[in-house]
Amino acid sequence: MSTPLIGVSKSMLKIKELINHVANTCLNVLITGETGVGKEVVAECLYLESTRASQNFVKINCAALPETLLESELYGYEKGAFTGAHKKRPGKFQTADKGVLFLDEIGDMPLSLQSKMLHVLQSGEFSPLGSDQDFKTDVWVIAATNHNLEESIRQKTFREDLYYRLNIIKIDIPPLRQRKEDIPSLIEYYFRLYKTEYPNNMGSKPDAETLVRLCNYSWPGNVRQLQNCIKKQMVVNSWEKIFEELTNDHPDGTFENVSDSAPRFSASLLHNVANNDRMSIISEFVDLSTSSEKLFEDISLKKIKKLASDKVEKEVITFVLEKLGWNRSKAAKILKISYKTLLYKMSEFKVSPPVK
Amino acid sequence: MADPTRLLIVDDNEDILSTFYEFFNSMGYEVKTAVDGFVALKLLRDKSLFFDCLITDLVMPNISGVGLISIVKKEFSHLKIVAITGYGDHPGALASEAQADVVLFKPIDLFKIEDTVASLLSNDNKNPKE
Ligand SMILES: Nc1ncnc2c1ncn2[C@@H]1O[C@H](COP(=O)(O)OP(=O)(O)OP(=O)(O)O)[C@@H](O)[C@H]1O
Ligand SMILES: [Mg+2]
Repeated sequence: MSTPLIGVSKSMLKIKELINHVANTCLNVLITGETGVGKEVVAECLYLESTRASQNFVKINCAALPETLLESELYGYEKGAFTGAHKKRPGKFQTADKGVLFLDEIGDMPLSLQSKMLHVLQSGEFSPLGSDQDFKTDVWVIAATNHNLEESIRQKTFREDLYYRLNIIKIDIPPLRQRKEDIPSLIEYYFRLYKTEYPNNMGSKPDAETLVRLCNYSWPGNVRQLQNCIKKQMVVNSWEKIFEELTNDHPDGTFENVSDSAPRFSASLLHNVANNDRMSIISEFVDLSTSSEKLFEDISLKKIKKLASDKVEKEVITFVLEKLGWNRSKAAKILKISYKTLLYKMSEFKVSPPVK
Repeated sequence: MADPTRLLIVDDNEDILSTFYEFFNSMGYEVKTAVDGFVALKLLRDKSLFFDCLITDLVMPNISGVGLISIVKKEFSHLKIVAITGYGDHPGALASEAQADVVLFKPIDLFKIEDTVASLLSNDNKNPKE
């Protein structure tokens, strides 16, 4: 299952909007950001929103493989191309044809392979190792890196021409500490997820004060690190232990001291948390990921009122019916509505007794 | 009198952007500006706006000039495209590959750009049906 792109910060909403606008262009995309910010999540979102969603999403990690292996993985090889090539094997450029090729950690690709990559991106043709035939390939290239490629170009470890060819669309994901407003919704999302995955885990959600502390941590490992903390909390159920570990295991992480840094700041953070609650309530009824023009078209108080009241009514009706062993005439009396209205609402909200 | 020519000018340098705006405005063009290709694309996709010509910088965040040109060629093919770059050869070459009508290199005289725009659009009027 793919991960939805959680986030309500301005920068996250802008990224969602950008994804929306470019998913169908098939133009090369470069995704940048520190480790754990969600580069792969963004790549998958692009793919899922594109017309290529029914084709392959093929990923290759350019940092994980030694040079020769990386080359044969990318382009494939003919039987006998090198010692050990007993059988012909297709490369990623072939399996990703008509779909997406996700070049992860592109900044770590050895220089020697960069010129060949450039050639393939330029011509749309490649040839497997040991073959003198050129094959056409129609892949949508999405690349990601946590390196500063401008710096790598200065250091002569990354080709400038390849950089410009990849950098047609640039999605830069800011570190989590620069978008603290996303922290509460990420916590909410991952708590819910782990709760359904492991219903027996007892870990409790952070209270307001703990939440402020979590928001003031610098998260050097970004969303991945936050996610791991929540996973741990599900098991150990002690935020104090979690904070202790953060301090001990991550020397590069820091807690901004809320009492030092002007009370105004913590007030604004709490305001953000409140604002965030607001966004999460609104997001239950309105799709906030669309562009603001479209969003404003979608927002109608009448429509939202209906959605919200339906949602609450459904829960209340189910609650009362369950308490009464599904005795509908008693339930109608308690809810102070007619029996007929109750039946109507039950069918509208699809409320029915559990099948025995 | 004919309607004024509608220009969309895109550059991530706000000083350049306002200089361009003032200049083309004073020359009688109707001008809208955008600070990157993404903002420009949203203006282009706004159904209430129409443009005759795009003048765009190439190296910009979000959607680059090269990306914008490719999208415009597909979705708004009537637009004339002038690309302007100050970043050496690579982006300029990519802009030609993306089929910008003209690629100019910075620094460049504003009157020269205006000339280019005017002649691109008058060429178009000479052969209204291709
Ligand atoms: N916006 C988000 N919403 C939900 N989950 C997220 C989000 N961003 C990141 N994650 C989760 O955090 C983890 C790290 O994300 P991802 O693998 O995409 O990071 P990355 O930027 O590719 O990191 P690296 O540079 O280390 O490869 C994943 O488990 C992912 O599901
Ligand atoms: Mg990754």
